[in-house]
Amino acid sequence: MIKLNNVTKVYKGTVVAVRDVTVDIAKSEFVFLVGPSGSGKSTFIRLLNREELPEHGTIYVAGKDIGTLGAWRVPFLRRNIGFIFQDFKLLPKKTVAENVAFALEVIGKPRQVVRKQVPAILELVGLAAKMDNFPHELSGGEQQRVSVARAFVNRPPILLADEPTGNLDPQTSVGIMKLLDRINRTGTTVVMATHDRSIVDSMRRRVIELDRGEIVRDQARGVYE
Amino acid sequence: MALSPRYVLRETGQNLWRNVLSSAAAIITIGVSLWLFGGFFLFNYAVDNATARWEGGIEFVVWMQPDATAEQDANIRDSIDTSPAIREWVYVDQTQTYEEFREIFADTPELIEVVSPDVLPPSYRVVPENPDADVVAELSGQFVGRPGVEEVVSADQTIRDIQRLADKVTRVFLVGSVILLTAATLLILTNIVSAIRSRGAEIEIMKVVGATNWFIRVPFMLEGLAQAVLGAMGAWVGLRILDDTVIKGLSEPDSLQLMQGFRVDQGEFYSTSLLVLGIAVVVSGIGSAVAVTRYLDV
Repeated sequence: MIKLNNVTKVYKGTVVAVRDVTVDIAKSEFVFLVGPSGSGKSTFIRLLNREELPEHGTIYVAGKDIGTLGAWRVPFLRRNIGFIFQDFKLLPKKTVAENVAFALEVIGKPRQVVRKQVPAILELVGLAAKMDNFPHELSGGEQQRVSVARAFVNRPPILLADEPTGNLDPQTSVGIMKLLDRINRTGTTVVMATHDRSIVDSMRRRVIELDRGEIVRDQARGVYE
Repeated sequence: MALSPRYVLRETGQNLWRNVLSSAAAIITIGVSLWLFGGFFLFNYAVDNATARWEGGIEFVVWMQPDATAEQDANIRDSIDTSPAIREWVYVDQTQTYEEFREIFADTPELIEVVSPDVLPPSYRVVPENPDADVVAELSGQFVGRPGVEEVVSADQTIRDIQRLADKVTRVFLVGSVILLTAATLLILTNIVSAIRSRGAEIEIMKVVGATNWFIRVPFMLEGLAQAVLGAMGAWVGLRILDDTVIKGLSEPDSLQLMQGFRVDQGEFYSTSLLVLGIAVVVSGIGSAVAVTRYLDV
Protein backbone atom coordinates (compact mmCIF):
# COMPACT_ATOMS: atom_id res chain seq x y z
CA MET A 1 0.00 0.00 0.00
CA ILE A 2 2.87 2.37 0.92
CA LYS A 3 6.47 1.93 -0.17
CA LEU A 4 9.43 4.23 0.38
CA ASN A 5 12.73 3.50 -1.36
CA ASN A 6 15.86 5.30 -0.12
CA VAL A 7 13.92 8.46 0.62
CA THR A 8 15.82 11.52 1.80
CA LYS A 9 14.26 14.87 2.62
CA VAL A 10 16.48 17.88 3.30
CA TYR A 11 15.17 21.30 4.39
CA LYS A 12 16.98 24.46 3.29
CA GLY A 13 19.76 22.38 1.82
CA THR A 14 21.29 21.44 5.17
CA VAL A 15 18.70 20.10 7.64
CA VAL A 16 18.19 16.40 6.95
CA ALA A 17 14.66 15.54 8.14
CA VAL A 18 14.49 12.03 6.63
CA ARG A 19 17.61 10.14 5.61
CA ASP A 20 17.70 7.20 3.22
CA VAL A 21 14.47 5.66 4.49
CA THR A 22 13.27 2.41 2.95
CA VAL A 23 10.07 0.93 4.27
CA ASP A 24 7.12 -1.08 3.08
CA ILE A 25 3.67 -0.81 4.68
CA ALA A 26 1.05 -3.34 3.65
CA LYS A 27 -2.67 -2.81 3.20
CA SER A 28 -4.60 -2.90 6.50
CA GLU A 29 -1.48 -2.46 8.61
CA PHE A 30 -1.50 -0.24 11.67
CA VAL A 31 1.91 1.43 12.05
CA PHE A 32 3.18 3.65 14.84
CA LEU A 33 5.93 6.14 14.02
CA VAL A 34 7.84 6.92 17.20
CA GLY A 35 10.92 8.89 18.05
CA PRO A 36 11.95 12.10 19.78
CA SER A 37 10.88 15.54 18.57
CA GLY A 38 12.71 16.44 15.37
CA SER A 39 13.32 12.81 14.48
CA GLY A 40 11.39 13.17 11.21
CA LYS A 41 7.99 11.65 12.07
CA SER A 42 5.94 14.58 10.81
CA THR A 43 8.06 14.91 7.68
CA PHE A 44 7.55 11.19 7.03
CA ILE A 45 3.78 11.71 7.16
CA ARG A 46 3.92 14.87 5.06
CA LEU A 47 5.88 12.99 2.41
CA LEU A 48 3.13 10.36 2.19
CA ASN A 49 0.53 13.09 1.67
CA ARG A 50 2.77 14.84 -0.89
CA GLU A 51 2.85 17.99 1.14
CA GLU A 52 6.60 17.56 0.74
CA LEU A 53 8.68 16.09 -2.04
CA PRO A 54 11.85 14.09 -1.32
CA GLU A 55 15.25 15.16 -2.60
CA HIS A 56 16.12 11.52 -3.25
CA GLY A 57 14.26 8.27 -3.49
CA THR A 58 10.79 7.22 -4.56
CA ILE A 59 7.49 6.96 -2.70
CA TYR A 60 4.69 4.69 -3.87
CA VAL A 61 1.20 5.06 -2.49
CA ALA A 62 -1.40 2.58 -3.73
CA GLY A 63 0.99 1.53 -6.49
CA LYS A 64 1.64 5.05 -7.78
CA ASP A 65 4.94 6.92 -7.69
CA ILE A 66 3.64 10.08 -6.07
CA GLY A 67 6.87 11.97 -6.78
CA THR A 68 6.05 11.97 -10.50
CA LEU A 69 2.40 12.91 -10.10
CA GLY A 70 1.44 16.13 -11.87
CA ALA A 71 0.36 18.91 -9.50
CA TRP A 72 -3.20 18.68 -10.82
CA ARG A 73 -3.38 15.00 -9.77
CA VAL A 74 -2.27 15.58 -6.18
CA PRO A 75 -5.82 16.41 -4.95
CA PHE A 76 -7.01 13.10 -6.35
CA LEU A 77 -4.22 11.31 -4.46
CA ARG A 78 -5.28 13.06 -1.25
CA ARG A 79 -8.86 11.86 -1.65
CA ASN A 80 -7.43 8.41 -0.90
CA ILE A 81 -5.66 9.57 2.24
CA GLY A 82 -7.46 10.72 5.38
CA PHE A 83 -5.51 13.07 7.64
CA ILE A 84 -5.95 13.61 11.37
CA PHE A 85 -4.27 16.60 13.02
CA GLN A 86 -3.04 16.91 16.58
CA ASP A 87 -4.96 20.17 17.03
CA PHE A 88 -8.14 18.92 15.29
CA LYS A 89 -8.37 21.92 12.91
CA LEU A 90 -12.15 22.11 13.06
CA LEU A 91 -13.85 25.13 11.53
CA PRO A 92 -15.31 27.03 14.49
CA LYS A 93 -18.28 28.56 12.66
CA LYS A 94 -19.49 25.24 11.30
CA THR A 95 -21.41 22.63 13.25
CA VAL A 96 -20.12 19.09 13.71
CA ALA A 97 -22.15 17.89 10.72
CA GLU A 98 -21.04 20.85 8.60
CA ASN A 99 -17.39 20.26 9.46
CA VAL A 100 -17.67 16.68 8.26
CA ALA A 101 -19.81 17.58 5.25
CA PHE A 102 -17.25 20.20 4.23
CA ALA A 103 -14.76 17.44 3.41
CA LEU A 104 -17.24 15.94 0.95
CA GLU A 105 -18.55 19.21 -0.48
CA VAL A 106 -15.12 20.49 -1.46
CA ILE A 107 -14.40 17.37 -3.50
CA GLY A 108 -17.67 17.88 -5.32
CA LYS A 109 -19.75 15.07 -3.80
CA PRO A 110 -23.46 15.43 -4.56
CA ARG A 111 -25.78 16.59 -1.79
CA GLN A 112 -27.54 13.26 -1.51
CA VAL A 113 -24.20 11.54 -0.87
CA VAL A 114 -23.32 14.13 1.78
CA ARG A 115 -26.73 13.71 3.44
CA LYS A 116 -26.25 9.93 3.59
CA GLN A 117 -22.59 9.68 4.59
CA VAL A 118 -22.34 12.38 7.24
CA PRO A 119 -24.87 10.90 9.71
CA ALA A 120 -23.39 7.44 9.12
CA ILE A 121 -19.84 8.49 9.99
CA LEU A 122 -21.03 10.51 12.99
CA GLU A 123 -22.82 7.39 14.19
CA LEU A 124 -19.55 5.46 13.80
CA VAL A 125 -17.58 7.94 15.91
CA GLY A 126 -20.34 8.20 18.51
CA LEU A 127 -21.36 11.80 17.85
CA ALA A 128 -24.73 11.37 16.15
CA ALA A 129 -26.40 13.19 19.01
CA LYS A 130 -24.11 16.19 18.70
CA MET A 131 -24.17 16.79 14.96
CA ASP A 132 -25.68 20.25 15.39
CA ASN A 133 -23.25 21.37 18.08
CA PHE A 134 -20.39 23.75 17.35
CA PRO A 135 -16.79 22.71 18.08
CA HIS A 136 -16.52 24.99 21.13
CA GLU A 137 -19.42 23.07 22.70
CA LEU A 138 -17.46 19.80 22.55
CA SER A 139 -14.75 18.31 24.74
CA GLY A 140 -11.25 17.76 23.31
CA GLY A 141 -11.94 14.08 22.77
CA GLU A 142 -15.18 14.82 20.98
CA GLN A 143 -13.46 17.39 18.77
CA GLN A 144 -10.86 14.80 17.82
CA ARG A 145 -13.65 12.36 17.00
CA VAL A 146 -15.08 14.95 14.62
CA SER A 147 -11.62 15.27 13.09
CA VAL A 148 -11.49 11.48 12.64
CA ALA A 149 -14.97 11.51 11.13
CA ARG A 150 -13.93 14.20 8.66
CA ALA A 151 -10.82 12.24 7.70
CA PHE A 152 -12.73 9.00 7.23
CA VAL A 153 -16.05 10.19 5.79
CA ASN A 154 -14.81 9.62 2.25
CA ARG A 155 -13.69 6.09 3.25
CA PRO A 156 -10.06 6.51 2.17
CA PRO A 157 -7.91 3.35 2.11
CA ILE A 158 -5.15 5.15 4.05
CA LEU A 159 -5.39 7.19 7.25
CA LEU A 160 -2.49 9.35 8.43
CA ALA A 161 -2.51 10.74 11.95
CA ASP A 162 0.06 13.20 13.28
CA GLU A 163 0.00 12.82 17.08
CA PRO A 164 -3.81 12.63 17.26
CA THR A 165 -3.74 12.11 21.04
CA GLY A 166 -1.13 14.78 21.70
CA ASN A 167 -3.70 17.25 23.08
CA LEU A 168 -5.82 14.72 24.94
CA ASP A 169 -5.76 13.21 28.42
CA PRO A 170 -4.89 9.48 28.69
CA GLN A 171 -8.46 8.30 29.15
CA THR A 172 -9.74 10.25 26.17
CA SER A 173 -6.75 9.07 24.14
CA VAL A 174 -7.80 5.47 24.71
CA GLY A 175 -11.21 6.27 23.24
CA ILE A 176 -9.64 7.77 20.12
CA MET A 177 -7.30 4.79 19.74
CA LYS A 178 -10.23 2.39 19.98
CA LEU A 179 -11.86 4.36 17.20
CA LEU A 180 -8.74 4.23 15.02
CA ASP A 181 -8.40 0.53 15.75
CA ARG A 182 -11.98 0.01 14.65
CA ILE A 183 -11.34 1.91 11.43
CA ASN A 184 -8.18 -0.13 10.84
CA ARG A 185 -10.21 -3.32 11.15
CA THR A 186 -12.32 -2.22 8.19
CA GLY A 187 -9.19 -2.66 6.03
CA THR A 188 -7.87 0.88 6.26
CA THR A 189 -4.11 1.31 6.52
CA VAL A 190 -3.28 3.57 9.48
CA VAL A 191 0.05 5.36 9.94
CA MET A 192 0.23 7.30 13.18
CA ALA A 193 3.03 9.45 14.56
CA THR A 194 2.96 9.53 18.36
CA HIS A 195 4.84 10.23 21.56
CA ASP A 196 2.31 8.31 23.64
CA ARG A 197 4.19 5.41 25.18
CA SER A 198 1.20 3.82 26.91
CA ILE A 199 -0.84 3.67 23.73
CA VAL A 200 1.96 2.08 21.71
CA ASP A 201 2.71 -0.38 24.44
CA SER A 202 -0.89 -1.38 24.92
CA MET A 203 -1.80 -1.83 21.27
CA ARG A 204 1.27 -3.87 20.26
CA ARG A 205 1.25 -3.02 16.58
CA ARG A 206 4.11 -2.45 14.16
CA VAL A 207 6.47 0.25 15.43
CA ILE A 208 8.90 2.21 13.24
CA GLU A 209 11.31 4.27 15.30
CA LEU A 210 13.04 7.26 13.74
CA ASP A 211 16.06 9.07 15.07
CA ARG A 212 17.55 12.08 13.28
CA GLY A 213 15.68 11.08 10.16
CA GLU A 214 16.84 7.47 10.04
CA ILE A 215 14.91 4.32 10.81
CA VAL A 216 16.61 2.78 13.83
CA ARG A 217 13.97 0.15 14.57
CA ASP A 218 11.17 -1.53 12.65
CA GLN A 219 9.39 -4.02 14.85
CA ALA A 220 6.19 -6.02 14.34
CA ARG A 221 3.97 -5.99 17.45
CA GLY A 222 6.46 -3.61 19.00
CA VAL A 223 6.58 -1.35 22.03
CA TYR A 224 7.53 2.30 22.37
CA GLU A 225 11.15 1.62 23.32
CA MET B 1 -15.89 16.67 -10.03
CA ALA B 2 -17.69 19.79 -11.14
CA LEU B 3 -18.00 22.89 -9.03
CA SER B 4 -21.38 23.07 -7.38
CA PRO B 5 -22.99 26.44 -8.21
CA ARG B 6 -24.63 26.45 -4.77
CA TYR B 7 -21.29 25.96 -3.06
CA VAL B 8 -19.54 28.59 -5.20
CA LEU B 9 -22.27 31.19 -4.66
CA ARG B 10 -22.35 30.55 -0.93
CA GLU B 11 -18.58 30.81 -0.55
CA THR B 12 -18.34 33.90 -2.77
CA GLY B 13 -21.17 35.57 -0.85
CA GLN B 14 -19.52 34.76 2.46
CA ASN B 15 -16.20 36.18 1.25
CA LEU B 16 -17.89 39.41 0.18
CA TRP B 17 -19.82 39.68 3.42
CA ARG B 18 -16.77 38.91 5.57
CA ASN B 19 -14.96 41.91 4.02
CA VAL B 20 -18.06 44.01 3.55
CA LEU B 21 -16.41 47.39 4.21
CA SER B 22 -13.37 46.82 2.04
CA SER B 23 -15.60 45.21 -0.60
CA ALA B 24 -17.72 48.37 -0.60
CA ALA B 25 -14.56 50.48 -0.91
CA ALA B 26 -13.41 48.41 -3.88
CA ILE B 27 -16.82 48.59 -5.57
CA ILE B 28 -16.97 52.38 -5.16
CA THR B 29 -13.41 52.85 -6.42
CA ILE B 30 -14.06 50.62 -9.42
CA GLY B 31 -17.34 52.41 -10.07
CA VAL B 32 -15.77 55.89 -9.99
CA SER B 33 -12.76 54.85 -12.07
CA LEU B 34 -14.92 53.16 -14.68
CA TRP B 35 -17.25 56.16 -14.71
CA LEU B 36 -14.26 58.41 -15.44
CA PHE B 37 -13.03 55.95 -18.06
CA GLY B 38 -16.45 55.76 -19.71
CA GLY B 39 -16.84 59.54 -19.37
CA PHE B 40 -13.59 59.97 -21.29
CA PHE B 41 -15.07 58.03 -24.19
CA LEU B 42 -18.48 59.71 -24.05
CA PHE B 43 -16.95 63.21 -24.06
CA ASN B 44 -14.67 62.22 -26.91
CA TYR B 45 -17.62 60.92 -28.90
CA ALA B 46 -19.62 64.06 -28.13
CA VAL B 47 -16.77 66.42 -29.08
CA ASP B 48 -16.06 64.41 -32.23
CA ASN B 49 -19.73 64.61 -33.17
CA ALA B 50 -19.85 68.35 -32.46
CA THR B 51 -16.70 69.18 -34.39
CA ALA B 52 -16.65 66.40 -36.96
CA ARG B 53 -16.74 68.75 -39.93
CA TRP B 54 -13.83 70.74 -38.52
CA GLU B 55 -11.37 67.86 -38.22
CA GLY B 56 -8.12 67.83 -40.20
CA GLY B 57 -7.48 71.58 -40.12
CA ILE B 58 -10.64 72.47 -42.02
CA GLU B 59 -11.29 76.14 -41.28
CA PHE B 60 -14.35 76.90 -43.37
CA VAL B 61 -17.06 75.13 -45.33
CA VAL B 62 -18.67 76.43 -48.51
CA TRP B 63 -22.18 75.00 -48.59
CA MET B 64 -23.57 74.87 -52.11
CA GLN B 65 -27.27 75.09 -52.90
CA PRO B 66 -28.72 71.60 -53.55
CA ASP B 67 -29.94 72.81 -56.92
CA ALA B 68 -26.78 74.71 -57.90
CA THR B 69 -25.95 74.31 -61.57
CA ALA B 70 -22.89 72.47 -62.81
CA GLU B 71 -21.50 75.77 -64.04
CA GLN B 72 -21.92 77.45 -60.65
CA ASP B 73 -20.31 74.47 -58.97
CA ALA B 74 -17.42 74.49 -61.47
CA ASN B 75 -16.78 78.19 -60.79
CA ILE B 76 -16.52 77.68 -57.07
CA ARG B 77 -14.39 74.58 -57.48
CA ASP B 78 -12.07 76.45 -59.85
CA SER B 79 -11.71 79.35 -57.39
CA ILE B 80 -10.85 77.01 -54.55
CA ASP B 81 -8.56 74.85 -56.61
CA THR B 82 -6.51 77.73 -58.00
CA SER B 83 -6.27 79.82 -54.84
CA PRO B 84 -2.68 79.93 -53.54
CA ALA B 85 -4.08 80.63 -50.04
CA ILE B 86 -5.75 77.20 -49.91
CA ARG B 87 -3.60 74.21 -49.01
CA GLU B 88 -6.19 71.49 -49.64
CA TRP B 89 -9.90 70.92 -49.94
CA VAL B 90 -12.44 68.11 -49.94
CA TYR B 91 -15.69 67.97 -51.83
CA VAL B 92 -18.53 66.28 -49.92
CA ASP B 93 -21.30 65.35 -52.33
CA GLN B 94 -24.97 64.94 -51.49
CA THR B 95 -24.67 61.20 -50.85
CA GLN B 96 -21.81 61.73 -48.41
CA THR B 97 -23.72 64.56 -46.76
CA TYR B 98 -26.68 62.25 -46.39
CA GLU B 99 -24.43 59.65 -44.67
CA GLU B 100 -23.24 62.33 -42.24
CA PHE B 101 -26.84 63.34 -41.66
CA ARG B 102 -27.80 59.73 -40.91
CA GLU B 103 -24.97 59.45 -38.37
CA ILE B 104 -25.84 62.70 -36.64
CA PHE B 105 -29.54 61.90 -36.44
CA ALA B 106 -29.22 58.15 -35.84
CA ASP B 107 -31.45 58.52 -32.79
CA THR B 108 -34.15 60.29 -34.79
CA PRO B 109 -35.16 57.82 -37.52
CA GLU B 110 -38.35 59.75 -38.26
CA LEU B 111 -36.20 62.68 -39.38
CA ILE B 112 -34.02 60.45 -41.56
CA GLU B 113 -37.14 59.03 -43.21
CA VAL B 114 -38.33 62.40 -44.49
CA VAL B 115 -34.94 63.53 -45.81
CA SER B 116 -33.37 62.31 -49.04
CA PRO B 117 -29.87 63.03 -50.42
CA ASP B 118 -31.15 65.38 -53.13
CA VAL B 119 -32.41 67.97 -50.61
CA LEU B 120 -29.11 68.13 -48.77
CA PRO B 121 -26.40 70.57 -49.84
CA PRO B 122 -23.00 69.40 -51.09
CA SER B 123 -20.03 71.29 -49.69
CA TYR B 124 -16.39 72.21 -50.08
CA ARG B 125 -14.36 71.79 -46.87
CA VAL B 126 -11.34 73.94 -47.05
CA VAL B 127 -7.94 73.87 -45.32
CA PRO B 128 -6.18 77.24 -45.79
CA GLU B 129 -2.41 77.72 -45.81
CA ASN B 130 -2.71 80.15 -42.89
CA PRO B 131 -5.22 79.29 -40.13
CA ASP B 132 -5.10 82.80 -38.65
CA ALA B 133 -8.68 83.91 -37.88
CA ASP B 134 -8.42 87.17 -39.88
CA VAL B 135 -6.94 85.41 -42.92
CA VAL B 136 -9.65 82.72 -42.76
CA ALA B 137 -12.37 85.37 -42.44
CA GLU B 138 -11.08 87.22 -45.49
CA LEU B 139 -10.62 84.05 -47.53
CA SER B 140 -14.03 82.59 -46.67
CA GLY B 141 -15.65 85.98 -47.33
CA GLN B 142 -14.64 85.68 -51.00
CA PHE B 143 -17.25 82.93 -51.43
CA VAL B 144 -20.14 84.57 -49.62
CA GLY B 145 -23.05 85.47 -51.93
CA ARG B 146 -21.55 83.94 -55.05
CA PRO B 147 -23.98 82.16 -57.40
CA GLY B 148 -24.82 78.65 -56.22
CA VAL B 149 -23.43 79.24 -52.72
CA GLU B 150 -25.93 78.68 -49.93
CA GLU B 151 -23.79 79.60 -46.97
CA VAL B 152 -20.15 79.86 -45.87
CA VAL B 153 -19.46 78.69 -42.34
CA SER B 154 -16.13 79.24 -40.60
CA ALA B 155 -14.58 77.32 -37.72
CA ASP B 156 -13.89 80.19 -35.46
CA GLN B 157 -11.67 80.36 -32.39
CA THR B 158 -14.49 79.12 -30.16
CA ILE B 159 -14.50 75.70 -31.82
CA ARG B 160 -10.76 75.42 -31.46
CA ASP B 161 -11.10 76.44 -27.81
CA ILE B 162 -13.77 73.81 -27.27
CA GLN B 163 -11.56 71.17 -28.86
CA ARG B 164 -8.61 72.18 -26.71
CA LEU B 165 -10.76 72.28 -23.55
CA ALA B 166 -12.30 68.92 -24.41
CA ASP B 167 -8.81 67.50 -24.95
CA LYS B 168 -7.79 68.64 -21.48
CA VAL B 169 -11.00 67.42 -19.82
CA THR B 170 -10.83 64.01 -21.43
CA ARG B 171 -7.14 63.73 -20.57
CA VAL B 172 -7.97 64.40 -16.92
CA PHE B 173 -10.72 61.76 -17.13
CA LEU B 174 -8.31 59.27 -18.69
CA VAL B 175 -5.42 59.86 -16.29
CA GLY B 176 -7.79 59.90 -13.31
CA SER B 177 -9.45 56.68 -14.41
CA VAL B 178 -6.12 54.91 -14.98
CA ILE B 179 -4.92 55.91 -11.50
CA LEU B 180 -8.20 54.83 -9.92
CA LEU B 181 -8.31 51.60 -11.92
CA THR B 182 -4.85 50.79 -10.60
CA ALA B 183 -6.08 51.53 -7.08
CA ALA B 184 -9.16 49.39 -7.73
CA THR B 185 -7.01 46.50 -8.94
CA LEU B 186 -4.91 46.73 -5.78
CA LEU B 187 -8.04 46.92 -3.63
CA ILE B 188 -9.45 43.79 -5.23
CA LEU B 189 -6.11 42.08 -4.73
CA THR B 190 -5.98 43.19 -1.08
CA ASN B 191 -9.55 42.04 -0.45
CA ILE B 192 -8.89 38.62 -1.91
CA VAL B 193 -5.63 38.26 0.02
CA SER B 194 -7.50 39.26 3.17
CA ALA B 195 -10.21 36.67 2.40
CA ILE B 196 -7.54 34.04 1.74
CA ARG B 197 -5.86 34.79 5.08
CA SER B 198 -9.09 34.81 7.05
CA ARG B 199 -9.94 31.43 5.54
CA GLY B 200 -6.51 29.89 6.05
CA ALA B 201 -7.87 27.02 8.17
CA GLU B 202 -10.55 26.16 5.62
CA ILE B 203 -8.05 26.24 2.79
CA GLU B 204 -5.73 23.92 4.70
CA ILE B 205 -8.57 21.44 5.22
CA MET B 206 -9.60 21.72 1.59
CA LYS B 207 -6.08 20.90 0.45
CA VAL B 208 -5.77 17.96 2.82
CA VAL B 209 -9.07 16.36 1.82
CA GLY B 210 -8.30 16.71 -1.89
CA ALA B 211 -10.11 19.78 -3.21
CA THR B 212 -8.71 20.73 -6.61
CA ASN B 213 -6.79 23.95 -7.09
CA TRP B 214 -9.61 25.48 -9.09
CA PHE B 215 -12.21 24.46 -6.56
CA ILE B 216 -10.26 26.42 -3.95
CA ARG B 217 -9.50 29.37 -6.21
CA VAL B 218 -12.77 29.98 -8.02
CA PRO B 219 -14.76 31.48 -5.09
CA PHE B 220 -11.95 33.99 -4.50
CA MET B 221 -11.79 34.91 -8.17
CA LEU B 222 -15.55 35.30 -8.31
CA GLU B 223 -15.33 37.62 -5.32
CA GLY B 224 -13.11 39.94 -7.39
CA LEU B 225 -15.38 39.59 -10.40
CA ALA B 226 -18.48 40.37 -8.33
CA GLN B 227 -16.86 43.54 -6.98
CA ALA B 228 -15.85 44.63 -10.49
CA VAL B 229 -19.25 43.93 -12.04
CA LEU B 230 -21.07 45.76 -9.23
CA GLY B 231 -18.67 48.68 -9.75
CA ALA B 232 -19.34 48.56 -13.51
CA MET B 233 -23.09 48.65 -12.87
CA GLY B 234 -22.62 51.75 -10.72
CA ALA B 235 -20.47 53.30 -13.42
CA TRP B 236 -23.14 52.52 -16.02
CA VAL B 237 -25.76 54.36 -13.98
CA GLY B 238 -23.33 57.28 -13.62
CA LEU B 239 -22.68 57.35 -17.37
CA ARG B 240 -26.41 57.31 -18.07
CA ILE B 241 -26.81 60.32 -15.80
CA LEU B 242 -23.80 62.03 -17.43
CA ASP B 243 -25.32 61.50 -20.87
CA ASP B 244 -28.87 62.47 -19.88
CA THR B 245 -27.92 65.59 -17.97
CA VAL B 246 -24.53 67.07 -18.89
CA ILE B 247 -24.08 65.97 -22.51
CA LYS B 248 -27.71 66.28 -23.55
CA GLY B 249 -27.94 69.52 -21.54
CA LEU B 250 -25.05 71.05 -23.47
CA SER B 251 -26.70 70.23 -26.78
CA GLU B 252 -30.11 71.65 -25.85
CA PRO B 253 -31.55 73.96 -28.57
CA ASP B 254 -31.16 76.99 -26.31
CA SER B 255 -27.53 76.24 -25.51
CA LEU B 256 -24.45 77.57 -27.26
CA GLN B 257 -24.96 77.24 -31.02
CA LEU B 258 -21.58 75.58 -31.46
CA MET B 259 -22.59 72.80 -29.04
CA GLN B 260 -25.64 71.77 -31.05
CA GLY B 261 -23.93 68.65 -32.34
CA PHE B 262 -22.52 67.79 -28.90
CA ARG B 263 -24.19 64.43 -28.46
CA VAL B 264 -23.62 60.69 -28.04
CA ASP B 265 -25.72 58.25 -30.02
CA GLN B 266 -27.09 55.00 -28.60
CA GLY B 267 -24.53 52.85 -30.38
CA GLU B 268 -21.67 54.90 -28.95
CA PHE B 269 -23.22 54.77 -25.48
CA TYR B 270 -23.65 50.99 -25.54
CA SER B 271 -20.19 50.34 -27.00
CA THR B 272 -18.79 52.47 -24.15
CA SER B 273 -20.88 50.48 -21.65
CA LEU B 274 -19.53 47.22 -23.03
CA LEU B 275 -16.00 48.58 -22.88
CA VAL B 276 -16.54 49.59 -19.24
CA LEU B 277 -17.78 46.09 -18.44
CA GLY B 278 -14.81 44.59 -20.29
CA ILE B 279 -12.37 46.76 -18.36
CA ALA B 280 -14.09 45.70 -15.11
CA VAL B 281 -13.58 42.05 -16.01
CA VAL B 282 -9.93 42.68 -16.93
CA VAL B 283 -9.30 44.61 -13.70
CA SER B 284 -10.88 41.89 -11.57
CA GLY B 285 -9.04 39.24 -13.58
CA ILE B 286 -5.67 40.87 -12.93
CA GLY B 287 -6.37 41.45 -9.22
CA SER B 288 -7.76 37.94 -8.71
CA ALA B 289 -5.09 36.20 -10.74
CA VAL B 290 -2.26 37.87 -8.84
CA ALA B 291 -3.96 37.15 -5.50
CA VAL B 292 -4.65 33.47 -6.09
CA THR B 293 -1.34 32.69 -7.77
CA ARG B 294 0.92 34.61 -5.39
CA TYR B 295 -0.93 34.36 -2.09
CA LEU B 296 -2.93 31.14 -2.34
CA ASP B 297 -0.64 28.16 -2.05
CA VAL B 298 -2.66 25.18 -3.25
